[in-house]
Amino acid sequence: MRIIRYNQPFTRSLPALNRYAYSPWTGLEAEIDRLFNVTLNDFISPPVTQFPVDLYEDKDNAYVRAELPGINRDDMHVELVDGYLNINATRKTKTESGEESYTLERSLSVPETVQADKISAAYENGVLSITLPKREESKPRKISVAIN
Amino acid sequence: MSFINNLLPTLRRSSSVKNDESNRSSGPVQRPLYRVSEGTEAYTLTVQMAGVAKDGVEITADHGEIRVIGRRAWQRPEGWTTLHRESIDATYELVLTHDNAINAEKISAELSDGVLTVTVPKAEAIKPRRITVA
Repeated sequence: MRIIRYNQPFTRSLPALNRYAYSPWTGLEAEIDRLFNVTLNDFISPPVTQFPVDLYEDKDNAYVRAELPGINRDDMHVELVDGYLNINATRKTKTESGEESYTLERSLSVPETVQADKISAAYENGVLSITLPKREESKPRKISVAIN
Repeated sequence: MSFINNLLPTLRRSSSVKNDESNRSSGPVQRPLYRVSEGTEAYTLTVQMAGVAKDGVEITADHGEIRVIGRRAWQRPEGWTTLHRESIDATYELVLTHDNAINAEKISAELSDGVLTVTVPKAEAIKPRRITVA
């Protein structure tokens, strides 16, 4: 039984040594690394425990979208503690040697202008989207000033 | 007959700069995280494609390669300002080559929560068989 697993392609992560970042050989070196990863079938790389997170806002809410495919709803937790939003997820996969699970976590700092008790979250197609409503007084408001 | 009798990923770059194949997906592409595991009857390919719904998936098996394309349907709503982006809007594309040791007619797939599980049955000829001695 062989498992071949890939890490994310190199273009999505910063190169470890910046002086090689713009070398014309960087691409070739990465391809050769990948070729070796394929042929060494007994080498199992550690699971990727980081996930991308996007932040948006509009005038009423702030939004967080996290890419977390393949997680059961019971294994996902979103908590707001001390001004930090903690996203915690456990991914369980069935391999032929049994079940394997690892945790993915990320902590984002959240400004005080968020109404902590009205935070909501939804999980669809592998994307966790969290809506953080802003406090009333921090929403942009037009204040007209009368000039005497 | 190939020595490495597995689903091998192709080493070509899947960039949109190539103009020799007209059926390539247009725009930027990214390779998703995936895993191939081998069972006695079939290979199981698990691909992580966040943000892809069933209608955005396209799987083709042709000329010794299996190609999986995932298109994400989410558009940023009008009033939203982007503060920080880490994900990429590119479509997912994964091309795996095989040496025809599979039964392409019976490939089946399921998509759940952004994870696509493709079951690729092995060809009859290479399944483990017991040979009795007369």
